Amino acid sequence: MSMTTLQACRAIHEARGDAVLVSTMSAMKAMDEVAPGAPLALSSVPLMGGAAGLGLGISLARPERRVMVLDGDASLLMELGVLATVAGAAPARFVHFVFANGVQFNGNANLGLAGNGAVDFCAAARAAGYAASFRFADESELAAMLPRIIQTNGPVLVELTISPCAPVLGKGNPFPEQPDKRFQRMGNEAAQLRRLLEATS
Amino acid sequence: MPSSPPPAVKGSAIAHALADCGIDSATVVPDFVQIATHQCLDADGGRLRVTYCANENQAIHVATGLYIGGRRPVVMMQNQGLYNCVNSLRACGLDAGIPLLLMVGQFGREFSNYGQDMRASRRHMVSLLEPVLDALGIACWRLETAQDLGAIAAAHAHAEQQRSPAAIIVGRHTEWD
Repeated sequence: MSMTTLQACRAIHEARGDAVLVSTMSAMKAMDEVAPGAPLALSSVPLMGGAAGLGLGISLARPERRVMVLDGDASLLMELGVLATVAGAAPARFVHFVFANGVQFNGNANLGLAGNGAVDFCAAARAAGYAASFRFADESELAAMLPRIIQTNGPVLVELTISPCAPVLGKGNPFPEQPDKRFQRMGNEAAQLRRLLEATS
Repeated sequence: MPSSPPPAVKGSAIAHALADCGIDSATVVPDFVQIATHQCLDADGGRLRVTYCANENQAIHVATGLYIGGRRPVVMMQNQGLYNCVNSLRACGLDAGIPLLLMVGQFGREFSNYGQDMRASRRHMVSLLEPVLDALGIACWRLETAQDLGAIAAAHAHAEQQRSPAAIIVGRHTEWD
């Protein structure tokens, strides 16, 4: 059993409230569809592996504010030591979602990743010192449990079993150019988020 | 047994200079050169929060989040850590324009290079640091003696004004009080 990235993002968006959302890769793309232009959002792009650290910094600066990190499995594997960094800092309102789809370049080429999709992120988080971890493969179960998870004293990791999207790149459908806005996005969102957090402090 | 040359700057003086700039947080991968400074900052938990990071990429990411949340962080690492986190500096410092103040220790500098140009060091670990920062377009200041302490305020002001990283190169071991 598994869910799609879009289904998981819809459930997270429903439960989000006024949490700051830091996302990367497939989840970032899905959130653009679920809640385009939503405030209190930061994209770790192009920066695989950066989402959890960015979220941790915001959480330390604004401990009263809930922070949700929407990470990828390949992204987290690039910075797996961040689990120890987060656990050591012990942010209480920090929920770290890992979209485990088992591929790199989801929906583009679906290449392999280190560990062949068998890494147990829940166990890794607990071993690093996270307060709790959960795993969901079903959208309705995730949606039902999220209100309770969000109230759990953190840091909390939630591993999501995600079905990858069908790859679309190949002969006859070559690479698109990466637009300038992709490289400007994190800076623009960072400036906007900083202003919003300052205004609401 | 080789003797150590006189250390350059007291860690407490560096901590005071950071405080004068309003620095209220530090993200850290411990640096052998800056041990005295680390210990001063660790002891100042009431005013300054230190976050130990598993590597330098994370130190950059966490500092970026702290800045977005309204804090004023400094990022501490050693030269080989700077080489490790070039992509995070590119993303957060250069592309996103976060004014990151970096303090980078020259680990492994041979004593015979003290008082000489660091670029003339016979060790790549040392000689490459300024050229790498130059290639990234990151301004840097040398901190080798107590007379250089003003570099901290200068680098901090540069980072804020240019919305860019700025680096202090700690060229010698910091001294205990």
